[in-house]
Amino acid sequence: MNVVRGKLLPPVLAIVFAALLCSIALLVSGGNPASALTAMVAQVGEGTTAVDIVNSASVYYLAGLAVAIGFQMNLFNIGVEGQYRVGAVVAAIVGGAISLPAGLHAAVIIVVAALAGAAYAAIPAILKVTRGVNEVIATIMLNAIAAGVVAFLISQDAFGVLRGNNIGTAEIAETGWVPGISFGSNGTVFGLVLLAAAVGVGYWVMMNRSRFGFELRASGESATAASAGGVNAKRMVLVAMLLSGAMAGLVTMPELLGRDHTYLITSPTGYGFTGIAVALLGRNHPGGVALGALLWAFLDKSALALDNVGVPKEIVTIMQGTIVLSVVVAYEIVRRLELAAEQRRVGRQNSGNGGAPGQPAGASAGGV
Amino acid sequence: MSSSAAPVAAGAGEAPPAVVLSGITKRFPGVVANSDVHLTVRHAEVHALCGENGAGKSTLMKILYGMQHPDEGTIEVNGAPVRFRSPTDAIRAGIGMVHQHFMLADNLTVLENVVLGAERLHGIGARARRRLVELAERTGMRVEPDALVERLGVADRQRVEILKVLYRGARIIILDEPTAVLVPQEVDELFDTLRGMREQGYTFLFISHKLDEVRAIADSVTVIRRGTTVGTADPKSVSSRQLAEMMVGSALPSPETRESTVTDQVVLRVEGLSLLAEDGSGRAVLDGIDLVVRSGEVLGIAGVEGNGQTELVETVMGMRHASSGRVWLTGRDGTTRELTNLTTLHRREAGIGYVPEDRHRHGLLLTQPLWLNRVLGHQTRPPVSRGQWLDLAGAKQDTRRIVEEFDVRTPGIDVAAAALSGGNQQKLVVGRELSADPALLIASHPTRGVDVGAQALIWDQIRAARAGGLAVLLISADLDELIGLSDTIKVMFRGRLVADADPASVTPEELGSAMTGATTDVPTGAHGGSTSDGPGTGSSTADSEVADSEGGERG
Amino acid sequence: MRRRMRGLVVTAVALTSALSLASCARDTGTQNNGAGNTGNKTGCTLAPKPPAASTTASSSAQDEQVDGSKLKVGLAYDIGGRGDASFNDAAAAGLDMAISKLGVSKDNTKELTASPQESEDAKQTRLRQLASEGYSPIITVGFAYSDALKAVAPQFPDTKFAIVDATVDGAPNVTPLIFAEEQGSFLAGVAAAYKSKSCHIGFVGGVETPLIKKFEAGYIQGAKAAAPDIKIESKYLTPAGDNSGFQDPPKGNVVAKGEIDAGADVLYHASGASGKGVFEAAKTANALAIGVDSDQYNQATVADFKDVIMTSMIKRVDVAVYDYVKAVAKGDVSTLPKVFDLKSDGVGYSTSGGKVDDIKDVLDGYKGQIVDGKITVKDTPGN
Repeated sequence: MNVVRGKLLPPVLAIVFAALLCSIALLVSGGNPASALTAMVAQVGEGTTAVDIVNSASVYYLAGLAVAIGFQMNLFNIGVEGQYRVGAVVAAIVGGAISLPAGLHAAVIIVVAALAGAAYAAIPAILKVTRGVNEVIATIMLNAIAAGVVAFLISQDAFGVLRGNNIGTAEIAETGWVPGISFGSNGTVFGLVLLAAAVGVGYWVMMNRSRFGFELRASGESATAASAGGVNAKRMVLVAMLLSGAMAGLVTMPELLGRDHTYLITSPTGYGFTGIAVALLGRNHPGGVALGALLWAFLDKSALALDNVGVPKEIVTIMQGTIVLSVVVAYEIVRRLELAAEQRRVGRQNSGNGGAPGQPAGASAGGV
Repeated sequence: MSSSAAPVAAGAGEAPPAVVLSGITKRFPGVVANSDVHLTVRHAEVHALCGENGAGKSTLMKILYGMQHPDEGTIEVNGAPVRFRSPTDAIRAGIGMVHQHFMLADNLTVLENVVLGAERLHGIGARARRRLVELAERTGMRVEPDALVERLGVADRQRVEILKVLYRGARIIILDEPTAVLVPQEVDELFDTLRGMREQGYTFLFISHKLDEVRAIADSVTVIRRGTTVGTADPKSVSSRQLAEMMVGSALPSPETRESTVTDQVVLRVEGLSLLAEDGSGRAVLDGIDLVVRSGEVLGIAGVEGNGQTELVETVMGMRHASSGRVWLTGRDGTTRELTNLTTLHRREAGIGYVPEDRHRHGLLLTQPLWLNRVLGHQTRPPVSRGQWLDLAGAKQDTRRIVEEFDVRTPGIDVAAAALSGGNQQKLVVGRELSADPALLIASHPTRGVDVGAQALIWDQIRAARAGGLAVLLISADLDELIGLSDTIKVMFRGRLVADADPASVTPEELGSAMTGATTDVPTGAHGGSTSDGPGTGSSTADSEVADSEGGERG
Repeated sequence: MRRRMRGLVVTAVALTSALSLASCARDTGTQNNGAGNTGNKTGCTLAPKPPAASTTASSSAQDEQVDGSKLKVGLAYDIGGRGDASFNDAAAAGLDMAISKLGVSKDNTKELTASPQESEDAKQTRLRQLASEGYSPIITVGFAYSDALKAVAPQFPDTKFAIVDATVDGAPNVTPLIFAEEQGSFLAGVAAAYKSKSCHIGFVGGVETPLIKKFEAGYIQGAKAAAPDIKIESKYLTPAGDNSGFQDPPKGNVVAKGEIDAGADVLYHASGASGKGVFEAAKTANALAIGVDSDQYNQATVADFKDVIMTSMIKRVDVAVYDYVKAVAKGDVSTLPKVFDLKSDGVGYSTSGGKVDDIKDVLDGYKGQIVDGKITVKDTPGN
């Protein structure tokens, strides 16, 4: 019951609250909230939408976990955006250039993506550890730089190949593709959705069972207590950032190996920022982030149905924004209420135990 | 409004007391920060409030200033009962507060800073300027209204802060450690100003733990200890020593066990340990510390806070890096290792347990369950860990043992550490630090801010471990604790160990004077100088349930 | 700060015009109206004028009556959609024209717009949605749809698709609507060369994509054809992959200023909404500018700067969309031009404002040569 109240109530409240706000926005602009919601829910059953939601969620999930690793120790890796793009491009270039047997080819691409993402995350990590540069500023700057690096790498001067009016990396040979799970006309689920799930499980095990996860959480909870407990803060920053970057590198792997097979100048951006929102929604918990990613993907994909009922699909952007804000506020409120309740509970228990703590001892030790 | 403009003639006679606090009790979840506090401040006096860090002074002042609301008790201002919901209410009642850390906008002028937020009183133009100049002249605080605050020195900034509260009509002014930032000449100037203003009918509540200053300026002094007022004294007739006694509570029975367990097995050896201040000034906060702690010995470090004790502990723990000097530790297995270049974790693994002086900042993960707190500092060692992987079952089981053995009052080991009272938190920390059978325990103020029951239990546990061969480096501001527990006492002053004392014979008074740097040699024998208890120490702390002051910092 | 920069610009412009005055003085002896090959009154030494054009512009105006009332027309826009004052809007205008002229019922049309940063599957879903609701033809605006069409078009073999700015291989039911932007840009380059007083012109591209490079290539080739010695500044606002270059007027302004400071006095932009900043810079520095895609002289969003817009390179997306819908209504899309070029009037130049009226014969002369194949315009810059 405690778990339900502490972990599930806040997001549910937040979503309801966000839905209310959006309904008001819709009513004010002359739309019909009920029909909009119906259309969105009904859209899930349409065509490939359900599969698209799962596919996008896997991408958002990886981005969310990449952000969450940093968040666990109050390290704000805003640079997942840049890291995933660098990882994707480097992986696409390498994948297009090499030829290996099926399976191995894909594995190499995935490893290269993780390494490239980690390498790009190493820059802010090293800056922070050696020079004390704030990682938020460094990663934001590096996001801008990543856009330029990506543009250069896929330009025709470097590794780009002209495809009509589009430019992209050379197409990865079929040995490097990861087959999906086909649902016929309802679309094909990316094979690497399983990778995302595996990363999620690995993340949970690391956080809850390993010494590293403990040290990470301890650093996030209280840097001073962690350092008194023998946690090496600099090492934690470095390792957390590299792990976060490696995970960021994986973000586009389901799409790259499952559908696109190339990285184009029109390839989507912004997954890193979606990852921040999803990590906030999921409170950095692997299960929560998964739900957050699914919710986000649902809103994104179902939004396409809103055009059918004459509702601007931008309303979904409003909804996503309000959900994140409300979730953050709701968690904080519930956290405070929980703590106060627990303190009261402990207090009750102790007074029921026969007097206030210390009183008997005080009588013997505290006399004048 | 303008009601404050009416000057009160000097010596207005039998005005009602400016402030009367009666029976103030403030509980934070799990702890009691103030307990049945009584304080009477007469009209037009400088009333000092003394107490150790964390004794509950700041909580009390926050209550008087409307920032906290008392759970019990009443406040009267100028004879009328009041109830403050916010500082605004307090300001309206003529109470002002000058915080220790200035709250000024650097890039604004003096006048702008003073007027900021009080624009409705006298506008922001010529009228405001006239009012400020008039106040400055009347109180003798010379300020240039158009000077930028960023160009002002510390003393001038403090004047601006005082003028700020005067401008808002304050007649009763709380000064929180006002001399902490001033050099002696500036302190004298401030005191002159305060005396002058006192003649004009202003009342001051002066918070300090510098006893000489209190005696120099205050008309009366109230001592607060462990969240409650110990008594009020006339500073003219009480000695600094007596005040110190009231503050640290020398009347508590000492936890003496005199049969010595000291062996000749050296556990901790520190040689020439030095540490430079982090501000880059090149000032040494630790200056050539040499010490030895043996198995079965408690080495107590006495000293006024801020003389390097914290730095000594953190340097030995590896949380700060010594600029020179070496440290060796002999573990339980008898091997001696040099710690000088090891990390905190390796030092802990070598056999150091650490009870930090601030358990919230350094000892606990407050929102995590108790069993996860058991892991902190032991994340590489059984029974809570198997190297890189945690052993959750082991951690939970060992936490249950600690809860049992150390009488941690908790409904279970899954509650967050923050839910426990200060005393129970501290018992958990001490239990954890003793659980890995360390060779050395570094205990910084191990019973600060805990109730007397927990205090006794912690003392018992430390004594028991000492009998089992544990070496203890004990830092405490509680001289009775220090004298009662220690086998050897060293006095620390300005980053150096300046004197030794024998706890079997030294009195708190002698120790107190050594701590101020007055003597370098503490008489170890019976010394006739010991006076009787200071006035007010008789009011016992024993009947307060929980006298935890930690809650004061929670705000 | 800003003021000081503006001051610098003014100084630079003053210096430039002083220089051109000097060259003007040198040229006064051979003043003519550009009829000869020695150069105009200031500015470039011009190449010989091409022979006057003989072809009259073919036009789609000769409308036979086609009934489109049975058609359900779907439009999938790129980011921005209807109202972007750029090529989405042009496509929308084509649809509107089809509604008014071909009798397409407005209720039988559906317009959907891409979101920024959407991924491939969103585009596919959009197209499937339109197709499964029975829309045919479905016109996709922008090359970003090419991969989506490649996936979706084979699933709906009976639906007719069209894509603006791209070709989709292996999908017979997809009609490409592609343009010879380089040809229109060639004429823009000629116009710029003739109008430049300093014999120094500039190009501002929005995003460095192959598509925009076609504009650049044609422009440079045209300018050099008209004035072999001309100096050309060429800059892009953002690299490929960063689409903000099409929506960043301040950046357009700064880059344009830079080119003006370097000496250019006629600027051609192919930068979407960022063009507003280019016009602003041109107006501040008393330079001229050439618009793009539609007749920007008449465009409301840049009306403040219309007096510096001497012409626009027009890319008739509206005509292409309209012609395509009409062809579908007739049941034969094979009559559509393979490429909407100068010959088919798919690209061209505008004359609103009358600033190029004096060189209209020259422009039409070059146009004739291109149409006749005497000049081949390259679609990538560089030699």
